[in-house]
Amino acid sequence: MDTKTLIKDAKARFSHNSAKAYLKEKYNSKLIIAEQGGLWKADAHTIALLHAFNHFQDTTVLIDTFDNPVEVEIASLLESLTTLYNNVMTEWNAEWKQLENKR
Amino acid sequence: METIRKQTVSQGAVLFAFNSSKYNYAEMAVYAAKRINFFLSLPTTLITDEESLNTIDASVFDKTICVTPDKDNIKDNQVWINKGRYQAYESSPYEETLVLDVDYVINSDRLLKTFDMSDSFCCHNSTEFLMYSGAAQETLSSYSYNTLWATVMMFKKSHRAKQIFEALEMVQNNYDHYANIHSFVGGVYRNDYALTLAVKIVNGHSEVASDYIPWNLVHVGKNTSIYPGYPDCKILDQEVIAYNAEFTVLFDNWKNSKVRKEWMTINDMDFHVMNKDLFVGIMNG
Repeated sequence: MDTKTLIKDAKARFSHNSAKAYLKEKYNSKLIIAEQGGLWKADAHTIALLHAFNHFQDTTVLIDTFDNPVEVEIASLLESLTTLYNNVMTEWNAEWKQLENKR
Repeated sequence: METIRKQTVSQGAVLFAFNSSKYNYAEMAVYAAKRINFFLSLPTTLITDEESLNTIDASVFDKTICVTPDKDNIKDNQVWINKGRYQAYESSPYEETLVLDVDYVINSDRLLKTFDMSDSFCCHNSTEFLMYSGAAQETLSSYSYNTLWATVMMFKKSHRAKQIFEALEMVQNNYDHYANIHSFVGGVYRNDYALTLAVKIVNGHSEVASDYIPWNLVHVGKNTSIYPGYPDCKILDQEVIAYNAEFTVLFDNWKNSKVRKEWMTINDMDFHVMNKDLFVGIMNG
């Protein structure tokens, strides 16, 4: 039996909440990257902090995902995290739009 | 520098599979190994016994190692061979190893990141259930540790990883004693509990953040079924296998003694199937 028939026969409803939670789970893990001796999450906070420092200095010390203070080269890490953030969030947005149309 | 390291260090996955009277775990290992080869591009080593090995075509494995199974574990009145996971350290032919349960469905390349996360060892310390978000984390007992999960472990040949696996052996050999101390039911041996204690012992009962994979282990739990979009199959007239990456999840949502069926689809995400019958269903498409 194919899955479409299965869903139809079971009279199942598409669960938007579960799908949303699954997307969050999936894409949050994709935002994690190991760089310059630390483990980072390409989140808004880290990117904003790097962006702010980038105007004034070349290096800084950041607390990574494992709570270690790591000295990093700002411009290079900012570029990696920004690229990763954009790629992952674009994918997340596309998949979220698809599920919004599901019933 | 990173690229040079990756080229020179051997990486692979180790699977343990011992058939029971009810399930052919070796067959599950074959299914898992094929997906590991495809999604992670890693070779696999199977640790098993002669009896189980004879039931499969083992050509998918890079290496097979036969050991004498420890049959001293009974679950639901049947022998459940899940002891001996500590042998992964000595038996692994790889410098960097993923140890995976055979019922963990690899459906993405996400686990490759674990090789960059730690110099010695990491595993999951938190879980999430598909379609049952926010379920409580399991603990050894009401006043003991949060459970660590042996479903996915990454280790690199190192003094510290060796210590963890030696501690795992020690806990296995004295499981009832630790069950008594931590007030959990000691009758059935669980790798998750033994690993929790082993890691805690090696860390001096403190938390080491880098021991934990920074995302949840995703379970397919009770009241949940999962079906592949299509079975993994050979493309006609070619030696290429098309691997299914999309799964439909069905959930029985019970409220006020009434059930409401809910569904969603997932892709590009690994998951652990707790129900073995369900896993066999996935395997067979």
